[in-house]
Amino acid sequence: MSDQSHSARGVAWTPPMELDLAAAAPLPVAEEEALLTDNRLETLPTTPDLPDRPDPPPRRIGRWLVGAVAGLLLVAVGLDTADLLARAFAASAVLGLATALLVAGAGVAVVGLLIGEGRALRRLRRIEALRGEAERLSLDQHHGAAARFAGALTALYAPRVELQPALARLRDHVTDAHDDGEIVRLLDRELLTPLDRLAYQRVLRAARDTAVATALSPSALLDLAVVLWRNLNLVREIAALYGARPGYFGSLRLTRRMLANIAVAGLSESAHHVAVEALGGSIAAAISTRMGQGVINGLLTARVGLTAMHLCRPIAFGPDNQPSLTRIRKELLTLPKQVL
Amino acid sequence: MRFPDLSNVFDVGALMETNVRLGVTGLRRSGKTVFVTALVDNLLKAGRLPFLDVVSTGRFQASRLRPQPDPDVPRFDVEGHLAALTGPEPRWPETTRGIGQLRVSLRYRPGSALIRTVQPMATLNLDIVDYPGEWLLDLPLLRLSFAEWSALTLELAAQPPRDRLSALWRGWLGDIDPAAPAAEDDARRGAALYTDYLHDCRRADTLLSLIQPGRFVEPGDLKDAPLLTFCPLPGGACGRGSLWELMDARYEAYKTNVVRRFFADHFARLDRQIVLIDVLGALNAGPFGMADMKRALELSLEPFRHGSSGWFDWLFGGKIDRVLFAATKADHIAAHQHAHLRGLLDQLVGNARSTIRFDGAEVETMAIAALKCTDSVTAEHEGRQLRCVRGIPVGRDRPTVLFPGEIPEDADAFPPGREHPYNFLPFRPPADLGRDPRGLPHIRVDQALQFLLGDYLE
Repeated sequence: MSDQSHSARGVAWTPPMELDLAAAAPLPVAEEEALLTDNRLETLPTTPDLPDRPDPPPRRIGRWLVGAVAGLLLVAVGLDTADLLARAFAASAVLGLATALLVAGAGVAVVGLLIGEGRALRRLRRIEALRGEAERLSLDQHHGAAARFAGALTALYAPRVELQPALARLRDHVTDAHDDGEIVRLLDRELLTPLDRLAYQRVLRAARDTAVATALSPSALLDLAVVLWRNLNLVREIAALYGARPGYFGSLRLTRRMLANIAVAGLSESAHHVAVEALGGSIAAAISTRMGQGVINGLLTARVGLTAMHLCRPIAFGPDNQPSLTRIRKELLTLPKQVL
Repeated sequence: MRFPDLSNVFDVGALMETNVRLGVTGLRRSGKTVFVTALVDNLLKAGRLPFLDVVSTGRFQASRLRPQPDPDVPRFDVEGHLAALTGPEPRWPETTRGIGQLRVSLRYRPGSALIRTVQPMATLNLDIVDYPGEWLLDLPLLRLSFAEWSALTLELAAQPPRDRLSALWRGWLGDIDPAAPAAEDDARRGAALYTDYLHDCRRADTLLSLIQPGRFVEPGDLKDAPLLTFCPLPGGACGRGSLWELMDARYEAYKTNVVRRFFADHFARLDRQIVLIDVLGALNAGPFGMADMKRALELSLEPFRHGSSGWFDWLFGGKIDRVLFAATKADHIAAHQHAHLRGLLDQLVGNARSTIRFDGAEVETMAIAALKCTDSVTAEHEGRQLRCVRGIPVGRDRPTVLFPGEIPEDADAFPPGREHPYNFLPFRPPADLGRDPRGLPHIRVDQALQFLLGDYLE
């Protein structure tokens, strides 16, 4: 809206004047109420000019292979199913009918699953789009563009019972005088800070769980399984908390991005921290290798959890509200004492 | 130095209270009184401060008015002003003259867990000191001799639009001889003409900002004192017994008894400072008003530039470490213009600000409104959507939709060829303010508070 007035200023200049009271309409802040419906979310522009990652060069052969194998499988399953149906009908009509029902049920379930996954993926993308939008909005002091963002974000959290007080407070605080950056900051403080606290608690709990499980488990294979399962669960929990509710593929995608993140950004640092904390931080950890491993696994889980928080939050963390590993680290280092 | 009362030495909380002095200043009509009233009301009710960290993180407990620390300074009559604003017939409070003080005590939980173990509840005594902006403009006089000041003032008075206003006084200057023997009548006549000229500068239609010395327009109990019976004189120093010598002596007396006293008793004890500026009023007044405001702002920044200018350093070690320049009455323009208003203020504060940031106090600018009287609306005019403000102008009883003109984002605020590009109207305070339990509605007062006091409330 402001862009419009900017460009128009060059064309025609309007002298100061008083206008008809009846012709005036309130500013789009009131729009926020109207925006509490989900469908407006789709209109949210993604940022096409800034791809978050350069696309890797396409590997044609691999793709062909996967496609061909999937096609073959589909054909095989289809043929087999048709064959099965034919044989069942040949044996008896009742058996045939029952088989047909089962096949139809399986088909419907698969389609339903696919749709659900598709939705979940879209939700995840939407959150990513929101984050891009928030970054853009918080940088400038323009006016009017944030109402749509606020509508989208509040719509995301509108069904959540525990966030109702925060939403009410938000509606109370936002006035027509706030510019885009301020509205984004308000949303960040009022709406997302409580979520951050909850997410942080979950990360803390998961880190403690994996640490204890690793410390107590008798076999390496078992604690590998426990760590994997707990980490995946944690990622899903955090994503759900921030409103992403990822499906299976969504979690996989999230996990993949997270692993990439951890590997690229944090590996050296994490290894450093982990080694220092595990070896120097606690005598108990140094005497007991299992304890040490527990602490290491706990810290890794915490890292995974914090990365998930970064990836799922609709507004990126600022410099002063980053969740920190320090508290989790302290908590974990008291663990040997608790267990022993 | 005041020692804690030993009778409650076991009351640890009382010993660990922090005091902070916040100076609130601004030239006449810049909205000091309303700002202090709105500030106190919002601190007491704490319902509209989402950008004040201590409130938004839920650590804020309560605040209340307490007896002020200095018994010899008039109390800021917050109750009276609040009653005027929130009464059945809301009106703007009477302007205050001179200095006023008020103490608000804030109780809050410290943010750091370490401090909380020692002190679960902390108290911050906020002493608000409200003084006229003219007094701040007097401070630079401390480094000017009478001859230097006279030369500067005369040069300024010869420029438009001041040349018209100062014609009478400068005519009188042409008739007298500074070297002639001093006569009290001459001094009184000159001072009276000079004072008239200063009063004319402050009139609403010209609204010039640079008024020196400040007590000439707000004399208080000094009216007719010899301290205020001088005026700038042309030429250089003259011999004993001359009119020049008399005026020089009185100028020095003014510096010693008025400026330096204000400096030592009040200004030097401030920790934080907010300077309220009616940028919109200057825009209404036209290019000359703006240029004059820029000069006044540069002068008023000088006292905060400790570190680089020697005279200030030896006077005191530089206590004020945060200064906020706030363009007030931001509710007179549509909300999307706030950024432009702030940009304009940035231009005014300009170079001075960057040097101060490096070697003295931290300086910030904001567009605020102590009391939000209007809503931003859009209205269509000749096929264009205009952003307007809706409110009840002072002197009328029906609301209107006003398009006050748009402040350009980066260009000159007064493009050539446009007569009167702005028309900012004063609005009446909204009705039923007293019923709102959240405090007076405002624009960015919470952010101003966060900048000024945020670190004390950690």
